[in-house]
Amino acid sequence: MHADKIAVLFFLGLTLLLSGCPDSSTTVDDQGASVSDFDWQMPDWVPLPVEPAYNPITEEKFQLGRHLFYDTDLSANGTISCASCHQQDKAFTDGVARPAGATGDIHPRNSQSLANAAWLRTLTWGNPTLTELEQQIVIPLFGIDPIEHGISEANQNQVLARLQAKPAYQRLFLSAYPDQTEPLFNELAWRNIIHALASFVRGMTSFNSDFDRYTAGDSQALSAAARRGMNLFNSERLECFHCHEGYTLTSSVRDRRRVPNIPAPFNNTGLYNIDGISAYPAPNTGKHELTGQARDMGLFRPQSLRNVALTAPYNHDGSVATLREVILNYAAGGRHLTHGPYAGDGRMNANKDPFIVSFSITEDEISDVIAFLESLTDHAFITHPRYANPWQDDASQDPIP
Amino acid sequence: MNRFLTLPLALLSASALAHTPPPSTAHRTTVDASLVATWRSASLVDDNAYWQVPGTMMGGHAWPAEKGAQVDEMNLGLSHRIDDDLAGVLKLGSHAGGMDDHSGVELEHAYIVYAPGPWQLQAGRMSAGFSPGLAQHAAERLASEAPLALDVFFGRHFHDDGARLAWQGNQGVSVGAEVWRGKAFPATDSNDGGAWDLFAQYQWQGTALTFAAGGWFYSAAAEARADHRYGGGHQHVPVAPPGQNTAAFPDIRYTGDTDIAGVHAHLGYHLNNDWQLSLQAEWMRAELDGTVHDAIGRQARLDGSQNGGWVQPGIIWRTHTFAVRAERLSTENSLVGPAAPQLATESGLANPDGHVPRRVTALWRWQWRPHIALRAEAIRDESLPAADHRFNIGIVWQQQIWSSTDR
Repeated sequence: MHADKIAVLFFLGLTLLLSGCPDSSTTVDDQGASVSDFDWQMPDWVPLPVEPAYNPITEEKFQLGRHLFYDTDLSANGTISCASCHQQDKAFTDGVARPAGATGDIHPRNSQSLANAAWLRTLTWGNPTLTELEQQIVIPLFGIDPIEHGISEANQNQVLARLQAKPAYQRLFLSAYPDQTEPLFNELAWRNIIHALASFVRGMTSFNSDFDRYTAGDSQALSAAARRGMNLFNSERLECFHCHEGYTLTSSVRDRRRVPNIPAPFNNTGLYNIDGISAYPAPNTGKHELTGQARDMGLFRPQSLRNVALTAPYNHDGSVATLREVILNYAAGGRHLTHGPYAGDGRMNANKDPFIVSFSITEDEISDVIAFLESLTDHAFITHPRYANPWQDDASQDPIP
Repeated sequence: MNRFLTLPLALLSASALAHTPPPSTAHRTTVDASLVATWRSASLVDDNAYWQVPGTMMGGHAWPAEKGAQVDEMNLGLSHRIDDDLAGVLKLGSHAGGMDDHSGVELEHAYIVYAPGPWQLQAGRMSAGFSPGLAQHAAERLASEAPLALDVFFGRHFHDDGARLAWQGNQGVSVGAEVWRGKAFPATDSNDGGAWDLFAQYQWQGTALTFAAGGWFYSAAAEARADHRYGGGHQHVPVAPPGQNTAAFPDIRYTGDTDIAGVHAHLGYHLNNDWQLSLQAEWMRAELDGTVHDAIGRQARLDGSQNGGWVQPGIIWRTHTFAVRAERLSTENSLVGPAAPQLATESGLANPDGHVPRRVTALWRWQWRPHIALRAEAIRDESLPAADHRFNIGIVWQQQIWSSTDR
């Protein structure tokens, strides 16, 4: 065959290839990540949280968990419920520096808000291994250091009997666990209680603040001061956004879309330096309490700032009373305690996060940042009947202490 | 007159080894320079906006066309023959970029050539030899703008550290292989990155007809590859003037393989001393098999097949070349994973309207002086769903500015 014929054939083939390019398309399969039978009461743009396969959330479990959450009979001596330290009007915190348990033990750490707990990578201030609500809830119920609800092997049957005696639970447990014949009386009763409590906490969603309305496009939802504060918050000067980012306003976040490939975040904010070589007061040493590693001294999980204006006092031990003081500590690059048992210059803490560097800020700017933080309050969340005490009108139920 | 024909002819017959210094040049040392400047009537994207062809993951140096006059590229090259088989090449280049800090001077070539007999071995930093379209720069192309397929699949410019072994037979057949460190898009130079390719070409010349055709296969591996045009480092929301909106560029990465196969051809027909006809075409198909992911742990599996290419018929009358370049891209992507919807959107792989990017360029190039050419282009650009029209007027200067003949 002559070269000119080869050339013509080649070009014909090439032209066919080009003219035969298929149309364009992109198919997407999220493997069910955006599907849930549960009404999460949140906007579509928020990705669904991770649920353990062994405890899928249902409305029935959520409602059973709500009853248990507010029930003082779920403690050794009937004096406290979960709601004692997690009160709705305070975004499920308690307003005190460190709460007391059923027997008077003072908890070493400040009560955390439960809003959006389902999205947190780790669930307590300093424990990197607690990643499931079902694991965590066992600690306040059965823990002994400190004693919170005070339930133990010795009294667990007595506590269970109090619950079994309440008519409301007969219906609620059967609805929540329809595949079990006697879910409050069988050997799975405590597991069922824990799974229901976890479902209620997992279902506490808070994405209805002025800030949310602003980011959804309502430019009037934030005041001028709050907008200025938001810009400061997201500025390279203050650096707040690095640890308090995204839709949960914390870098400790996971959801169905994410497979985190870095360790869960824990940060030292320079709050203490009691021995001059970076120590925090025991037992509040953060991640170090579990790992024993010096590099983990004073490392605590970055908190979500949603509803932060309602969750004073602040920091892991409640030792900072106001948001203004929190901002001043960051502005100083840490806290310098000049007297008292924990005196020390936290600004010099060797474990301090690199983003905790001093910055200059005026009083007006502090007010603006606080205005922004106040815009993160979800007023519907703290009054919504869905999260409220279901026993309010039940004369048989003790009032919450 | 005929000497003026040599440049258009050379433009239409760029070989796969276009960047290799001529093996039999009489000059021991040469210094070459080129400059391409173009005025464009419109920008392809708005200020503070990003150029992202739907259905693709772009990168490299594929900047969008910008309104106004700019220097598309400047090159300064030094070639030195050490002996009959050995030469060294250096080239500095500067290319216009979409942002001020992306248009610096780069060392694009720094390699040695060892060419005993039909064999040729090159090593160092160099351009790719497998695709004639990819080997061309704005000074060597008829059109001032790079083909869309090369912008999308290779990030426009390809300079990497590597080695090439090629064999040129006396029957017009040449074959070769290249290995690359992976600094050029779509590879990365990380531990599991890098690239390699194979190519073959056949050239034939008759009395009136010239014909060249070839094929190539390129395989790249990437780890957490970023679109370095806009992302890839510490970044925040770009600053827009009051009253304008902008958004942070989503820093979506790609880890996986990119295999691209291509064929190309050039047909030239010499009608008489004044008239010639030409037809050029190149087509390529990219297969993507990897994962798209981001810094917060979202990821999705990507299986993509993307096709692109162009046909460029032209007619040459003395020093004038008239041509039309018609380009087309098509993309078929499948993303699977919990974050697939979001990553598809943020990476640019989403193509909800099934847009098929196209571009047509009608151009005239006049070799006004031996070293200076002028060109004018009218472009209908449908690389984005909204069609864009622009007109370009440009000048190309290419010259050997110094040589030594002491051999």
